[in-house]
Amino acid sequence: MSSTPKNEPFLEWPAKYNEVPKAVFEMDELWPKELETIFYGAEWHPIVHRAEIPNPGDYKAAELGEMPIFAVHGEDGAIRVFQNTCTHRGTSLITESAGNKKEFECPYHRWLFSLEGDLVGCPNSRDFTPDFDKKNFSLFQLRTEEFCGLYFVTMSDKTPPLKEYLGESFYEPLSRVLGGDGRLKLAGYQKVMYDCNWKAYCDNDGYHAPLLHKAFALLNWQGGKGFQRISENGHLTFESELKIPDEVTALKDGAILDFKGTTTSTGSIVQMQFPLTVYSKHMDMLNIRYAFPKGPKGIEVHYAYFTHEDDDDEMIRHRIRQSSNLLGPCGLISMEDASVFSRIDKGNKTPGNAIFQKGVQDEYALSFEVKQNDESGNLPRWEHYRKLMGFERAER
Amino acid sequence: MNSVSNTTIQQVENLNRDYICALDSLDMPAWLACFNLKGRYTFISEENERRGFPIAFMLDDCYERLQDRVTQVVEIQSDSTEHYQMRHFTQLISVSEADNGLINAVFNYSIYYTQRDNNLTKILCVGQYFDTIKLDGDSASYIERKAVTDTNVLPRYTAYPV
Repeated sequence: MSSTPKNEPFLEWPAKYNEVPKAVFEMDELWPKELETIFYGAEWHPIVHRAEIPNPGDYKAAELGEMPIFAVHGEDGAIRVFQNTCTHRGTSLITESAGNKKEFECPYHRWLFSLEGDLVGCPNSRDFTPDFDKKNFSLFQLRTEEFCGLYFVTMSDKTPPLKEYLGESFYEPLSRVLGGDGRLKLAGYQKVMYDCNWKAYCDNDGYHAPLLHKAFALLNWQGGKGFQRISENGHLTFESELKIPDEVTALKDGAILDFKGTTTSTGSIVQMQFPLTVYSKHMDMLNIRYAFPKGPKGIEVHYAYFTHEDDDDEMIRHRIRQSSNLLGPCGLISMEDASVFSRIDKGNKTPGNAIFQKGVQDEYALSFEVKQNDESGNLPRWEHYRKLMGFERAER
Repeated sequence: MNSVSNTTIQQVENLNRDYICALDSLDMPAWLACFNLKGRYTFISEENERRGFPIAFMLDDCYERLQDRVTQVVEIQSDSTEHYQMRHFTQLISVSEADNGLINAVFNYSIYYTQRDNNLTKILCVGQYFDTIKLDGDSASYIERKAVTDTNVLPRYTAYPV
């Protein structure tokens, strides 16, 4: 019998490390626990890059779990992330996905907040409680850390410092996705809803790439040498050499596949940060995929694309052509992923376990030795998830 | 805005009808035939367009890209796409003749889609087409069709042009 406390979701995990219960994608009752332990727990979540809000007053709305938040560029140049709620009666302050404001005014009772989150005005305050002090009613600010211009938040004071949390094997390639020095310019977004549980969205692996993506074969696109690096807390980095054929006969406009490379663009990088953010640098595309689960079903993904401040006009045009046509919910080399997300979700309404094979040496042990095209690189992330959720592994 | 003849309006409407019928029947060569050799097609969110960001969902900025769009739909992604039936509903709201003799037109559009696996019908996207059209005798063709979508978050991955 499980010792799971009352009202805690129960899911028995298979004894074999390469098996994941299909029910994990389908049990709605897991969601409140996932919110508590993962989205509001000791994890860092990227919210905004400085390039998305480059000027004082620029703001961007987002969600952490089910909590509305927003990032704002202050007059002092600092970027802060606040809960999107008036400290009076809780009305949301931001209703647009992004914009620029001099201050944030709640329309309900006209409480006014500075870009730094201070309460600077509240009508008729002489009639408030005797010990009312504006200093105690600043916007709720989230713990924030920055890396290469990318700002992360966490709800927990127990989360390790960001670089320690990510680990060098993750943050070093991430710096290259972020242009080497973080001096990026926002080129725009592609936003889409995928019809699946959030964990299906982020269970993509190294095995599928040359098999699912028909464009790879059609373009005679043989993957170069590469590797995966995995951390115990579920972060995953794929890095591979770029091998693009000299001549692409399948396309009339082969220039779309050019790699114009810079000193900071030495390969193809795809990174998955637990729980669900993807960063990628394919050819000359610099991409952050922010993802927002809409409860247990449905995930909204915002593909944010960047150019680098040092790019010339030709490079900017090239990055925009590539980004708009190769990645994202319509992209030549990625749309099939989206197709699989929803098919995984539909197929996993059946009993039993999803079984990983490629790269698994020992079904009863977790291995961090993973080759480029193995799917076993996902297993440490599942183990991290299992532990966070408190699911017991069945006895062998 | 210069006034245009009923014949021109009819040509603009006919071209649009050919376009939406091609997509609703997923006849990609017929879709391509709506463009001339200078043709461009863009499918972009209203948010990016309004904020001046160039990233599009689809950016076929030359005729070769239009040809490759046909290849992508017909040959490359056909086996993994969960097919959906589109129905386009359009309304011409503006047509004018530019100084260079080309025709500018704006259509509102709404597009429904029906998936074969569940047969439910939902809205794929709503927005406006901004067209630049070349008239050549009785025929008309797109120099540019830009589909700006108010649906900034698409409800699913989108395999076909709209």
